[in-house]
Amino acid sequence: MAKFSLFTEESNRSPLFRLWRKFRSNHVALVGLWLFLALTVLALTAPLIAPYGVNQQHADALLLPPSWHDDGDVRFILGTDDLGRDILSRLMNGATYTFGLSIIAALVTTALGVVLGTLAGASRGLKSSLLNHLLDITLAIPSLLLAIIIIAILGPGLMNTVWAIIFALLPQYIHSIRNLVVAELGKDYIIAFKLDGANRWRLLVRGILPNIYEHIVVIFTMALSTAILDIAALGFLKLGAQPPSTEWGAILQENLSLIYLAPWTVGLPGVLLFIAVLSTNLVGDGLREALKNRKAD
Amino acid sequence: MFAKYAYRRISLLCFMLFTLTVFTFSLNYLFPGELITNFSGEVNSSYAQTQALVEKYRIEDNIIVQYGAFMARMFEGDWGLSLSSGQPVLGHVKLLFPATLELCLYALTVAVIIGVPSGVIASAYHKKWPDKIINSLSLMGFSIPVFWLALLLIMVFCLGLGLFPMSGRIGLLYEIQPVTHFILIDIYLEGFPYGGASFWDAIHHLALPTTVLAMYPTTVLIRFTRDSMLDVLDQNYIKTARAKGLNRSQLILHHALRNALLPVIKQIGLQFSTLITLAMITEVIFSWPGLGRWLIESIYQRDYPAIQGGLLAVSFFVIIANMMSDLVHSLLDPIARNQAHGKI
Repeated sequence: MAKFSLFTEESNRSPLFRLWRKFRSNHVALVGLWLFLALTVLALTAPLIAPYGVNQQHADALLLPPSWHDDGDVRFILGTDDLGRDILSRLMNGATYTFGLSIIAALVTTALGVVLGTLAGASRGLKSSLLNHLLDITLAIPSLLLAIIIIAILGPGLMNTVWAIIFALLPQYIHSIRNLVVAELGKDYIIAFKLDGANRWRLLVRGILPNIYEHIVVIFTMALSTAILDIAALGFLKLGAQPPSTEWGAILQENLSLIYLAPWTVGLPGVLLFIAVLSTNLVGDGLREALKNRKAD
Repeated sequence: MFAKYAYRRISLLCFMLFTLTVFTFSLNYLFPGELITNFSGEVNSSYAQTQALVEKYRIEDNIIVQYGAFMARMFEGDWGLSLSSGQPVLGHVKLLFPATLELCLYALTVAVIIGVPSGVIASAYHKKWPDKIINSLSLMGFSIPVFWLALLLIMVFCLGLGLFPMSGRIGLLYEIQPVTHFILIDIYLEGFPYGGASFWDAIHHLALPTTVLAMYPTTVLIRFTRDSMLDVLDQNYIKTARAKGLNRSQLILHHALRNALLPVIKQIGLQFSTLITLAMITEVIFSWPGLGRWLIESIYQRDYPAIQGGLLAVSFFVIIANMMSDLVHSLLDPIARNQAHGKI
């Protein structure tokens, strides 16, 4: 049913600006966005701003608790681990691996997913069916099992994990993009554009993509949160990043034996993981809400 | 109409099963190591044995004959031997899969019992405080890494308070005859031995892994139910019903709920793939003797026949579960049958 407002106010702002205004009014999502940006900056600049080197050992300061504790030392704000390495520096560098690599994995998935999804959406018949269901089999294989198989073939390592995650995320992505493209293709303005004589390439680039890229960003945030969780889980299972690396899941695994002695070495990487995933989900949710509301007014 | 729909679904199912077996078959070539060893799991076999294996697995014929021989063995139940234990892979799978399945089913039950009503409550009080609380809690549960949650619960409830045991399915004091390999059913079949204490102990062992495993599907169901309910509540027939003077409980229970729950049924079936991924991690942390932990140990030991067998069993199960939920959904929802899946 058409919703009409009594006091109509002419709004000639661009759709992007209206989206931002809707998004801005949701304060929780805004906090999520700031956290997300902070983590991105951290992932890019961590080696430069971290107080100590990743593997720099301090023999005089083993297993120090965080500095707010009575036994803590202000030199090591979040304490040290059993080899005397500064936890703050390690966690900051971990952002590059866990968060940075997840973003790269999600971006690669987006690129592949958009290409294959639009191809599947724009073609018909058998070709479309093939493209659409090409990777469906990976939907049935649990993502961790798929990662295990890829690791069994290629050997453990961080980059192999990234490939595994890309493969696991791709089919969902193709389905979502295809549904968006098909829904858009049925609309009147596309038919008008077609009657104007636009060829298929122009139809896609000028007609469809500008109308779905905001939805692609929402799908991207969902893929990103899954990628972060998967990279960390594989690091935790000793299948992804290997121990001296500062990937958050690997740090957690390395310090698992210290859970009695120094719970903060297990707790803190988890807190960061939680914040990373939460901020991604907040941005995604906020964006989806804003898109829905923008359509309403 | 339904026959046509079922036909489409089943042909897609056959296609998926075919790709799955081809993928599993090609893994023998992709994995490092000897082809024969990957196929059979026999190490250090003598010359005569190797010749017999070459004959049995048709290694010298072309790839299609090899695939045919592979499929024939799969149907006969000869899934090769595990490299680490020397026992048949199928035996391991039969022994361990019920444990995983048991955990997943309980977690899913908990998720449905908590998730669906919470989603309905959140949508009934849209933009009021119950909605806000449920929404933020579900977002937090959605974002928490499963292994960290498990470690936190262990720190608090096992190490701190000592309320629950940390690992295993049942205390070592009790001996239960495995019949179905579902621990609670086995205890029931034996007629609650040890004065019911064994049942209580098994529940205690189940509590933490089930909670950890249920967290993610619960939050997904809450969010999904809430969104679906809000969509339905926005429709015209609900407005008509409200205009007729129905109160909120009548509106939700009699008019909105039925339509809103249809997509949720489909969603429940789609949870299995994620659930098994999470179960693998949960099993490792809680030393639960299930298929997931076995698979993770197989990769540590480079036990390729075991990985293949696990892949085949788990994926087969997920495909069947998805299809069952899809069929149930389309039986209940006539509209879904028109937009037949796979039709483009």
